Amino acid sequence: MNATVDLPAAATRRPLRLLFWTALKIFLVWDFLASPTIDLRLEPPLIAAGSGQAASGGHCSMPGK
Amino acid sequence: MKRFPLAAAMAAFFVFLLWSVAVRQAALFLVGIGLGAALAGARFGFTTGWRRLVEERDPRGVVGQLLLLGLAATLAMPLLGAFPELQAALGPPSISLLVGAFVFGLTMQIADGCGSGTLYKAGLGVPLNMGILPLFALGSFLGSVHLDGWLALGQTAPVGLVSLWGVGGALAATWLVLLAVGLGVRRWAGWQQAWWDRRWIVGAVALALLATLNLVIAGQPWGVVYGFGLWAAKAATALGAFDPAGNAFWSQAGNAQRLTQTVLMDVTSITNIGILAGALWVAARDGGATAVRRLTATQWAVGLIAGFVMGYSSRLAFGCNVGAMLSGISTGSLHGWIWVPMAFGGTLIGLRVRRRFGF
Repeated sequence: MNATVDLPAAATRRPLRLLFWTALKIFLVWDFLASPTIDLRLEPPLIAAGSGQAASGGHCSMPGK
Repeated sequence: MKRFPLAAAMAAFFVFLLWSVAVRQAALFLVGIGLGAALAGARFGFTTGWRRLVEERDPRGVVGQLLLLGLAATLAMPLLGAFPELQAALGPPSISLLVGAFVFGLTMQIADGCGSGTLYKAGLGVPLNMGILPLFALGSFLGSVHLDGWLALGQTAPVGLVSLWGVGGALAATWLVLLAVGLGVRRWAGWQQAWWDRRWIVGAVALALLATLNLVIAGQPWGVVYGFGLWAAKAATALGAFDPAGNAFWSQAGNAQRLTQTVLMDVTSITNIGILAGALWVAARDGGATAVRRLTATQWAVGLIAGFVMGYSSRLAFGCNVGAMLSGISTGSLHGWIWVPMAFGGTLIGLRVRRRFGF
């Protein structure tokens, strides 16, 4: 278990980085295509402050809403 | 990757968001890029700052963090008072918070990065952090699935200092405690140590401004953890491995709705993507020169397990250094003040574990 895993900067970082970004892109494309089409008429206000609309996003501090 | 094609790809994604998703989301993507560039450019690591304070008695990182908290509170609290539609990061004081913050502080030292740290280091191309990110997401999702059970162990209602004492009172109390912590840090470090460093100060000012911009645009403070839990929840649901209707957290109206939407509509997800992109841009600027240490197989295993537990505990703690500490304290949430000493206690153990495995 203590064998050193050879991770010289360029050799293993490049494929790992490629894998990481490819997986992220695939997830985002899949998610966008699999989700219902966004209704642009229901677009949230550009600036929440002063809009009079309560924030609708999820946040890690909230136990759920 | 070269900077020009990367900038072109980021611009194309910005235009896509503008055209096909929402102007707000496009704006938040830019905020996220700024956050990622500030975090990576200044190497503003919450984890590193705490570690250097404990191990080297170097107060510069923690002083930068105290400045960030003070500036962010000075900007956020008056906004919360003036605009009732803006939300504070109010988490419930609870057993879940105590356990989660302690375990988070412990594991973030082993994983060498908190929520934002893991994000920007993954963007910089640090292998361990790239490996940790999906496990962090999985842990965060499982934490949200179990959150109801943890909350059943005991909780009180969230306490918001701005609504309790008003903007002036909450801000004065925040600055007083920050100054007291600063003096304690100074005393621990010794008066001969350098007090501040340009890198940390620049990072603190940039992050405070961008966190405020996030609050103004999104209507809620900057967060990291929720987005990752959402991504894993969507994947688990799509694979048929999870039924959100049968879970207390994910069956709640807001969470259930976000599960059906694209993550590009989620404010936390979009700033997370921006942070990755901003850090990648910094890595391209630096020519991929980020130093990476070789890790043994044991270190890899320990680091990945720590990343998973860190994700789980971040959900129990109602946020990481960003969602609970920065956003909680700067918007006057009591849970942020409870989070810090618990996470710091965990960090003291985490540093020993870190040394044990030779990180």
